Amino acid sequence: MAGKQRVPIPFPSKEKTVSQGTTHADPNDLVARCQAGDVEAFEALYRAHSARIYSLACRMGGSAEDGEDLLQEIFLQAYRKIGSFKRDAAIGTWLYRLALNHCLDYVRSRQAKMTKLTETLDAETSFEPVARRDSTIARLDLERALERLPDGCREAFVLHDVEGFDHKEVGELLGIAEGTSKSQVFKARAKLRALLRRH
Amino acid sequence: MHPSEPAIHDYVDDVLDARQRTDVERHLEGCGDCRRLVDDLREIRKMAAVLKNDLRDPPVRAWARLERAIKLEHSQGPAKGRRDTRTLVWLAAAAVLLVATVVGLQFRAGQRTIGNRVDSSTSTPPNSSAATNQAAQAVEAELRAAEEHYTKAITGLEQIAKTEQGALDPATAATLQKNLAVIDLAIGESRAALRSQPANEPAQESLVENFKAKIGLLQDTVALINEMRKGNEAGAARIVSGLKPKGD
Repeated sequence: MAGKQRVPIPFPSKEKTVSQGTTHADPNDLVARCQAGDVEAFEALYRAHSARIYSLACRMGGSAEDGEDLLQEIFLQAYRKIGSFKRDAAIGTWLYRLALNHCLDYVRSRQAKMTKLTETLDAETSFEPVARRDSTIARLDLERALERLPDGCREAFVLHDVEGFDHKEVGELLGIAEGTSKSQVFKARAKLRALLRRH
Repeated sequence: MHPSEPAIHDYVDDVLDARQRTDVERHLEGCGDCRRLVDDLREIRKMAAVLKNDLRDPPVRAWARLERAIKLEHSQGPAKGRRDTRTLVWLAAAAVLLVATVVGLQFRAGQRTIGNRVDSSTSTPPNSSAATNQAAQAVEAELRAAEEHYTKAITGLEQIAKTEQGALDPATAATLQKNLAVIDLAIGESRAALRSQPANEPAQESLVENFKAKIGLLQDTVALINEMRKGNEAGAARIVSGLKPKGD
């Protein structure tokens, strides 16, 4: 995981669809107003995209607390950088890239500071899933189990199985080999299966 | 012979060639364990894909924090890095929350370690009672320390909220008071449960969660007061919409 240096987003081939939320403001006008430093326009941009970014940040960071801090930092960075937005992509895509890069930087710096190794999970007890034996996995159970995955395999799983990147793209984003992305995703699924084990 | 684990995952991801796929399918016909593994992995994949569009709304206070950070940037010049933004934006309220959060995390981490210790000791009954008591006492001590810090954090936020409460209209203030009373009641119940069963983990977790709920509500109160003072009715309305009466 820590091997290769990640190059800031060689960006994926797929255009990410980002919900436009409930705002009725014209997005083009909104961008121009944001670029002119209009905080109200920036708030509208935030309202339109914050749920998408917050959801990504919570899952990549591994907790709601980290998600909230990351959300704040991402949008503060967006406010600083929106002047350089060239409109060569949708504003939602630009924000998503910014958010993903920021989450990846955060995860990397945390990994450098902590030795939260994959093996530590093995020593932890599993939690009691909400879902019954005969039902499908409850969404909340999966969210809770995701928070318990070790750094490394959680990001690979979120990028591949949740966000829909292929292993080549995950490898580029995380600065790891494609094969390592596969093994991290497989490891994450195996651990999730153990955490969500039926009683 | 079972297929390799990567082969099973590749089968679930539908990236095997036709021959490999047939081999796996032939094996699955006669192997219940592998069929269960495939079913579970497919379910995990399916739910993970659903998560992508299952978006969570950030807490209502998040915009107020961000707006403050933006305004501080304007007045003080750009802040650099994660820690700067975190410490700059939330002023006094942030300071007390940070203490509470750190303590909460420490408590949770300690609780897991101690919990495991208790579990492993109970598997060897003859010599376990002293170790179990010791572990239970350690949990209680950590919980007491966490409670003390949460209480300090709550007191700090309450002071801010109390001093500025005149900015709120009476109906909103009453709703906030009612919500706080509901949380206080839950805190009281958790404490009572812990008095009778100090090692009761759900009660410990419930107490910590209730402290966090109270801090969250007080934070929203401070955010609301700020919006009202600024005359930002839209911002205030958004926060108020998240303050629905509890316990109804």
